[in-house]
Order: sequence, then C-alpha cells, then structure tokens
Amino acid sequence: MSTATRTAPRTIGSEGPAPRPGATRPGATRGEATERRRPWLIIAVALAMAAALLISVARGAYRDGPLEPDAPSAGGSKAVVQVLGDLGVAVETRRHTADAADALREGGTVLVTDPRMLNAEQIIALDEARDEGDGRLVLVQPDFVVLSYITTGIFPSGALRSGAEVPAGPGCDDLAHGARILEVPDAEDALRGPATLYTTSGSASSCFTADGGALVAEQDGVLVLGSADLLTNDGVRLADNSALVLNALSGASDADGRKGTAAASGTGTEAEVLTWYVPSSTDPMGTSSQTLLGYLPGWAGPLAAWLLLVAAIALLALGRRPGPVVVEPLPVTVRPQEMVLGRARLMQRAEQRDAAAASLRAATATRLADRLGLRHESSLDGLLAALAPHVSADGTRLRALLGPSPVSTDQDLVRLAHDLDSLEKEIDR
Amino acid sequence: MRISLTPRAALAALLAVPVIVLWPQWWMLLVLAVVWAAVVLADALAAADPRRIRVRREAPTQVRLGGTVGGRLLLTNPTGRRARLEVRDAWNPTAGLDDQHARLEVPSEERRAITQHFTPTRRGEHRSREVLVSSLGPLGLARRSARADAPGRMLALHPFGARRHLPSRVQRLRELEGLAAIHQRGQGTEFDSLRDFVDGDDVRSIDWRATARRRSVVVRTWRPERDRHVLIVVDTSRTSAGRLGEATRLDAQFDAALLLTALAGQAGDRVDLLCVDRIPHVSVLGSTRTKVLHDMVTATAAVEPALVETDWELAASTIAERTRRGSLVVLLTPIEAAAVHSGLLPVAARLARDHPLVVASVADPALEELAAGRGDLEAVYRAAAAERARGERTGVARALERVGAHVVDAPPDRAPQDLADAYLALKAAGRL
Repeated sequence: MSTATRTAPRTIGSEGPAPRPGATRPGATRGEATERRRPWLIIAVALAMAAALLISVARGAYRDGPLEPDAPSAGGSKAVVQVLGDLGVAVETRRHTADAADALREGGTVLVTDPRMLNAEQIIALDEARDEGDGRLVLVQPDFVVLSYITTGIFPSGALRSGAEVPAGPGCDDLAHGARILEVPDAEDALRGPATLYTTSGSASSCFTADGGALVAEQDGVLVLGSADLLTNDGVRLADNSALVLNALSGASDADGRKGTAAASGTGTEAEVLTWYVPSSTDPMGTSSQTLLGYLPGWAGPLAAWLLLVAAIALLALGRRPGPVVVEPLPVTVRPQEMVLGRARLMQRAEQRDAAAASLRAATATRLADRLGLRHESSLDGLLAALAPHVSADGTRLRALLGPSPVSTDQDLVRLAHDLDSLEKEIDR
Repeated sequence: MRISLTPRAALAALLAVPVIVLWPQWWMLLVLAVVWAAVVLADALAAADPRRIRVRREAPTQVRLGGTVGGRLLLTNPTGRRARLEVRDAWNPTAGLDDQHARLEVPSEERRAITQHFTPTRRGEHRSREVLVSSLGPLGLARRSARADAPGRMLALHPFGARRHLPSRVQRLRELEGLAAIHQRGQGTEFDSLRDFVDGDDVRSIDWRATARRRSVVVRTWRPERDRHVLIVVDTSRTSAGRLGEATRLDAQFDAALLLTALAGQAGDRVDLLCVDRIPHVSVLGSTRTKVLHDMVTATAAVEPALVETDWELAASTIAERTRRGSLVVLLTPIEAAAVHSGLLPVAARLARDHPLVVASVADPALEELAAGRGDLEAVYRAAAAERARGERTGVARALERVGAHVVDAPPDRAPQDLADAYLALKAAGRL
C-alpha cells in the first residue's frame, strides 16, 4: 500500500520542472556511492588474490617457454625429458654457454634448443669445446650462420612449405634412429614457423628428404634437427617422431644406436647424461658488446659520486628544521545548523510534504498574527477573519493556503512556500 | 648545541669539481671529502658561541583580539667575535607573529633588537615554545645552534566589540537615575531626596511630615537602589561551541557579559561571573567596581567551549551559594529545545522564585537565511526545518517566560545590546 502512495507522486515530480534532490548535490551522492561500493571492492580483490594463489598451487612451479624441459604446456618438452629419464638418461638443464661447453668438453651430449639466439662468441665457444672433447651436439633448427661456424657440410636449403609426413629415405640406416616416417605440423601450428630443410656435402649425411632437402642431417657428431616440433609435447606424439628424438638423445651414437638403448634399458653400467641447453638472455657471454656507459670519460664515475655527495649535502642543509614544530590545540567549533539541515534532509527523503507545509504555515500564521495584533493562540478562523479585509485573496483560497489541506506534489510545496511569502508581503504593504 | 650545514656548504663542495675532472681517482674523492669536512668544521668552530648570546624579551603581556601589538627580542653578544645570528622565535601559529625567523649581526660587546609584531587570531593564551639562536661561521658554511632561555607568554583578550554600545546605554542609565518622577517607590529602590511638589507628581509620594515642617508641599523621590548584586552565568558547554558567522557562540556570550558588566559597573552594582559546564571552572567573584571589567576580560580570555552537556543542577547549587536573595541572575545559554528540557527549565523556575532572572541566548542568524530560502525543493524543505527549529525556540522561550524568567534571544550582533536593554528595563521598572 505504502509503495503505491509513494511511487505515484514521484513519477509526477520527475516529469515536472522541479529539480530532483540528487541533481543539486552530485558530489554528496557520489561520495556516498563510493562509501557503499568499498566492501564489494575489497571482497573482489580478496577473491581474485585467493584464486591466483589456488591456480599457482594447482599449476605447480615450472618455467614455461618453448622447449623448456619442465613445461607441460603444448610448446614445452616435459614429455621427452620424462621418457628420457625413464630410459635412464639424466637430463641436466643448462642456461649458460660456459656450462654447456664444459659438458661438451667432458664428452656429453648437448642439445641446443635455440641456436639462433647465440651470438658468434657463444657459437665459437661451443665449437671449440666440441673439438677439445668428443661430445655430441644436437642443434634444433639452426640457421646458416650457426652451421657455417660449426660444420662444413650442412647448409640450410629452404623450408618445408606445408606440414607433411616425411618418410626415411633408403640411404639412411643409422641416422633414421629407428624411425620410418617423421611428421611436422603446418607452419601456422608449428613452434618456430615452417621446418627447415638442409643439404649436405662431403662427409655429412642426411635423412628424411623432401622438397630437395633433408629434415635431419649429421656430420662429425653434430646432429641437426630441422624442426623444433619434433621435441614438443604436442609434436613428439606424431608419427615416429618419438623414436627419432628419444634414440638420438639417449646417447645412442651414430655408430651403434642399439648399444645405447641396450645400456639404457637395463644393464645400468653407466648413466648417460644429456645436457639440455636453453640459451637465455641472462648469459654473461650473451651480452659482450660495449655498453652505453663505456663511452663515458674516465672522470665521469668519480664526478657522479661527488655530485651525489653534494646533492646529499644540499638535501641535508635545505631539510634542516630550525627548532621544533609548534603544535597548538585549537578550540572546537561546531556547525550549529547541522540539526536543522539533517531534519530537512530527513523530511525530503521521507517526502514529508505535509509536515514541511505545516511548519511553514505555522510560521507564517504566527507572523501574521503578530502583524494583526492577535494572540498566538487564536484559532485559524479568527486569523482568517482578521486577514480577510487586508488581502485580495478570498476566504476559501486563504483557508487552502493556511489551513491543513494536504500537499500532494513537490511543485505544490514550492508553490505553497512562495504563496505564503507573497501573502506576508501583502500584509506588510 | 648542534652543528648544521648551510646550503652554501653544498655550493662550496661544487668547487672540487675541476679537481676531480683533472685527477679522476677515487682516493682523490676521499681527500676532497676530508678537506671539505675540515673547512666546514673550522668554519663552525670559528662562529661565535650561541650559548653565550644573552636573549631578553620585551614582550607584550596582553592584546585585544584583532589588534596588533609590538614586542622586542634583545640579543647581547658578550663574546669577542662578531656574531652572525639566525634567530627563530617559535610562537604558536595563532599568536600571529609576523616573522618567526630573523637574521641579524651583533658586533662584539654590543646589543641588537629584533622587533616583532603580534596579531593574534585566537583568543586565549599564547606562548613561545622556544627561542633557537644559530650562529653562522665567518664563511657561512655551517652554523652552531643553541636554545636560549627567554620564555614568552601573551594573553589575547576578548575583543569586546560591544563596548561601542556602552556610552548610549550609560546615558540611558543616567536619564533613568535623574528622572525621579518616573520612579515609584517599590522593590529595588531607595530614598533619594526631598523636593518641592510640582504638578503631575503622584500625591502618594508627598512626605507629610516634611511638608509640616516647611511651608510648601514636599515630595519624596526615589532612585534605583545602588550596590545591587548581579551574577552572570555563562554556559560553556557543547551548545556554545556552535560557529555563528565568524566567531563561536561563546564569544558572543562573552561580548554580552562584558557589556553588561561595564554597564552594571556604571550603575554601581557589583558583578560576579561564573562559567559552568560539567564543573564550575572559571569565576570572577568579589572584584571591586573599578577592577571587575579587567578581571573579567582576563579571566575569560582562555575559556573555550567543551564538548559536554551542562549540569544545570550543579550550576543551580553554585548560584545558590554565590548569591543573596534578590540578586539579578543572568544565564547566558542558548535556548535549545533538547538542552532546555534536559534540566534548564526546572532550574530556571527555582531561580526565578528567588531572583530576577534573565535568560540571554544568542540566536543563529543562519537560521533566518535558511528560513527565507525558496530556491528549489531542497531549499523549501530546509526553510520548513528552520521554521520548525525557530518555532521550538519560541516555544522554549515562552516556557521560560512562564516560569518567571526574562528571555533575550537575539543574533550575535544584537545580543549584547538587547541584554543591556533588558537590564535597563529591570532598573526602570524598579525591580532591581
């Protein structure tokens, strides 16, 4: 019932010209809104933080990236590494060229996941280490520069246009590592674009030929794989990719691949070690160029240090506070109208038009009674009778104005206030 | 004593830059740093000792709020060195000292003064927390600082803006005393003199015994009784903290109290003052007629409103202790419906039985502005609320009048005069 009586005047009021209460003080309304919104914000932030924590716990701690040995994502290599571990090959992750070179020098197998990230110095270091020891180097999709440093007989000859199944040719027996068909995905699904094909000359041998190039090539202990997708979690499942990769990496030498697998499968005389070298940008050998600061003259460093000292002295001197901060208790003052304004707001929010009209009428009636020399306690009839000869309005209008007639809309209330004002002015005249 | 650096010390350190450019070695930095530190330290030690500088204050003790008063800080240098001084006199901010910092040079065995001007912006006591004297070295690279013992204290008095209304009220008082004819014999009057009967005199005032002794008809004249007792009670509670225009309600109440004190002093009455909220805390009792205004201004200078409710029962018992029957009691308290019903009304009824009682209230002029608002719906609602508040005040005032109190309710600029007029009206009516 109450909703019906309250909604009707509100719609009338909003159509009329009378300003809505919210329109006059937007700042106050906005302040209240932020006050109210804050707990939701806190709850949302707390939920987001809890969700992030849960996700990170469920995900486990691993480093994600292409051919990362711990990454279970599509581009990672966790599948290969885990199977190699089951075969008895200890996989060690290395991120610095010096460590990879040490492994090569000791005769281990080193897989370079992204040779194209290496600079000349790093490539030469790896090549020298391979010459000193008798380690094997497995390069994943190397480019012309890398190959020209390390091998003499392998060159990139082009790219495999579309993903395809590449069968092992008739000429390759050991180099096939027991695989018959390799499969690489399309260029758009692949990790590093289309697969690279290589041509060989001299003592180099190649296998899995297609489009006039080979997907796998080998020369003097350097094995070149034409596609990074042979090693990823997604790509290793395709065709015989797993056979090639696992056999090539589990230490089976080109000379006798069977011996390596036999050693891995059970005799356990000597655990094979595979060094999984992921080139990283934090490698000290990776950044050897002249830095920007290196071009500065020799006195720049001492001068900068001295200027820093001078700045500190200046701050100390300028920040000095002469004597204490003087605090002073100030007397309290209170806005005296707070109660009146609060009551006005309450009346407006509750739409107590009749109460507002009653107090306005009472004040006007009191002032009129003073002007006309009546007692304040005299009745409305007495006041109207005394008023009648002095004003232009007739009795019914006066009674509507001063009597307790209901006020139904906001406009009526404003109009009533103005009418009461003009009535008082008329008496004053 | 503390040694501190000046900005010039940093500039001096910049002089080492060419040396560093020419010999860019790290040990050179160390050498330069040591040299710089030695120079700065030597400069600081060459400064005159600030602890030996004698500071004496010629400070004003009192100033009316709104006025400006001058003071001096005298610095004597008894050392053999010329003293370059930086002095900070740390007054609280509302003391209105024009410049807390001063730089001056005092030659050996001489004295110099720092002139200061105070324009306080807050009533009450102001203090200088500390005087810090810093002595700069001859190169100005470092200074030595020390605290000087020169306590400063100043009282900013109530401005008493209503005192300009005093002459007109005093004149009215004189007229009242001179116009014996309008005076009837009654309570609060005393016998003044005998004079010849003129037409219009009340026949009841003919002194027949004196007429029998003389040939002509003689009447007695009466005048307001002198040496009456007035007790002003100022409410310093929460409701007095309200800000009306520029100042608080308490300031307006003190203004009214001071005008009444000055006027009553002229009328030959004794005036006492009592400030109450939860406790009666400041009072001026038994001052002589000539000193009472001064005492009252001094005593009220440091009184500020407290955020508590007034304990009117306690106030009533204090008033009963301090007054005789028939003394005029003036309550300076806002008339507010809530505050009044909480205890003022019964206390006022009891006081009005024994004393002439005036309840003086300072009204809020903002209420009138709110009541006149017609701009939009919100303004109309505010006007309605303001009218209701005014109606409540009127109702409370009428209730107080019904129990026998005289009520004065006026905005701050009118309240002192209205209270003085109410006092004069009581005098004229012979009730005092």
